Amino acid sequence: MLRLIQNEWMKIFRRPGTYVMLGLLLIMTTVAGAFIKYQESGGTVPDNSEWKRGLQTQNESYQKQLDEMGEMAPREMKEQYQREIAINEYRIENDISPNQDYSIWGFVTDTSQLIEFAGLFTIIIAGGIVASEFNWGTIKLLLIRPIKRGKILASKYITVVLFGLMLLFILFAYSALLGALLFGMPEEAAPYLNYYNGAVTEQSMAIHLIIYYGLKSITMLMLATMAFMISAVFRNSSLAIGLSLFLMFMGGQVTRLISMKYDWAKYSLFANTDLLQYFEGVPMVQGMTLGFSIMMIFIYFLFFQALAFYVFKKRDVAA
Amino acid sequence: MDTLVEIQDVTKVIKGRTIINSVSFEVKKGEVFGFLGPNGAGKTTTIRMMVGLIGITSGDIKILGSSIKTDFEKAISHIGAIVENPEMYKFLSGYQNLVHYARMSRGVTKEKIEETVELVGLTDRIHDKVRTYSLGMRQRLGLAQCLLHDPKILILDEPTNGLDPAGIREIRDHLRMLARERDMAVIVSSHLLSEMEMMCDRIGIIQNGKLIDVQHISDFVQGEEKIYEIEVDHPEKASSLLKGAQPDIPIQLTGNSVLLPLVRDDIPNLIKNFVQADIKIFAVREVTKTLEERFLEVTEYKEDAGNA
Repeated sequence: MLRLIQNEWMKIFRRPGTYVMLGLLLIMTTVAGAFIKYQESGGTVPDNSEWKRGLQTQNESYQKQLDEMGEMAPREMKEQYQREIAINEYRIENDISPNQDYSIWGFVTDTSQLIEFAGLFTIIIAGGIVASEFNWGTIKLLLIRPIKRGKILASKYITVVLFGLMLLFILFAYSALLGALLFGMPEEAAPYLNYYNGAVTEQSMAIHLIIYYGLKSITMLMLATMAFMISAVFRNSSLAIGLSLFLMFMGGQVTRLISMKYDWAKYSLFANTDLLQYFEGVPMVQGMTLGFSIMMIFIYFLFFQALAFYVFKKRDVAA
Repeated sequence: MDTLVEIQDVTKVIKGRTIINSVSFEVKKGEVFGFLGPNGAGKTTTIRMMVGLIGITSGDIKILGSSIKTDFEKAISHIGAIVENPEMYKFLSGYQNLVHYARMSRGVTKEKIEETVELVGLTDRIHDKVRTYSLGMRQRLGLAQCLLHDPKILILDEPTNGLDPAGIREIRDHLRMLARERDMAVIVSSHLLSEMEMMCDRIGIIQNGKLIDVQHISDFVQGEEKIYEIEVDHPEKASSLLKGAQPDIPIQLTGNSVLLPLVRDDIPNLIKNFVQADIKIFAVREVTKTLEERFLEVTEYKEDAGNA
């Protein structure tokens, strides 16, 4: 198995396209760093003395709006405001200023947007890894080895996951390094304030970011799995990559639109892949829980894999 | 055990159409078996079934006694194959391609790879990208790929397709050498008859998904009797002399020679008769039927029989 993964890895890294992807990821991070650094040098550190009063006024205005709208307030807005109020109160009580100097952690948080690109590249690899063998005709030589087809497909999937994890690691490590170089380490580590189930807790920034990365990458992993499935079933890398990218950019929006009117939107894959909604935001459809989402993700995952393996094993390799 | 490959009553049905219709044959150790048939007759389909690329509707294929259906890993480990063109990873070097396939079989050492490269004569170019290879070199790399794990059986689909005469000769020599010296069973398919004639010990003819004949190449080409061409100064005179002795004999006259079917032992007698009749003989030679003529004869005959 290890040697099969080694093979797949070799086939990925002997192609120049892979290095273009890695290069793009690094360049984008660097450009983001340069841009933020340039902006920062123009601005001043905000005045720290008045922040408590500021937060208080903010809370009052939130509360007022909530009271005024009463039952009319949309659920999402209500929960969002409640969260803000709780965190602001916590800050005032524990004397944690929201105005932190921009540091390495701020930069890593900002560049985590680039996970989407890591996802995109992983989808490209996942969409091609089976379909390309058919296009190249090499599948014929690949499947006449004393190895079961299921094992070959599994090695390809594991390679995709490893590739995705590698991109994430590179992104995280590089932006942490660049952040530390450009913006420095914070003088005193400000904790991240986590609001979950009505309670505010403190969390170390580094741990928060790692969890944040992990949760964000679930979307990416699921889409890569889908691209992989399409690749194995339809032997068409363009279809696999195109469809997965389309869903990556549109899936969330469309599901959100549907969820405004229909409850069944919660069974959509895209309503569930963003687990961050349970920690940092508001669930897309009321009544969705973390457990429900994890289960849905699991069901979709099994479905994709079962389909990919079933078709790949049964397929007659002709022409 | 001398029989390495057994094809047992294999049938393949795709979407209600019978592509292969109960084909059976065996291939023995040390022989080159040719699989001959016009395009679309089912050669490639049969070969794909033998290497497990496509499923078998009914019947079974046994490789050294292991079924390709139920014991795939064991059966396939005895086979080295090229199915159609030897497609390799073009962005890898020849060597990396071989390493790739070596990793997928048990116990292929670095030395074994080097040795195989040497055998197919690619030592100079093995570290270049496959993209830069000529078709002949790709074919040789393909051969190297299927020899890596020392298979007992070699299956090549149209191995000489697109090669120049030198390349064809090279492949042919390789195959004969492998069959003879390593006692491998070699199965090749082709629609090029002249090539099969030089390469194979036995051939099976497939047409419309049915195996219509399996014969030794010499029997196949010759049929029952041999034809001799005798070059003389007066063909008409020779012809009438022969007709006088045997009125039924089918004699052909061409320019300055006569052609007739003969048994070897009759030749001295015939020459004596000619000499006594004052006919000058310049040459007596055996005319071998080409495989092509024979092939068309067989397939046409079977077709007629099938239609009647």
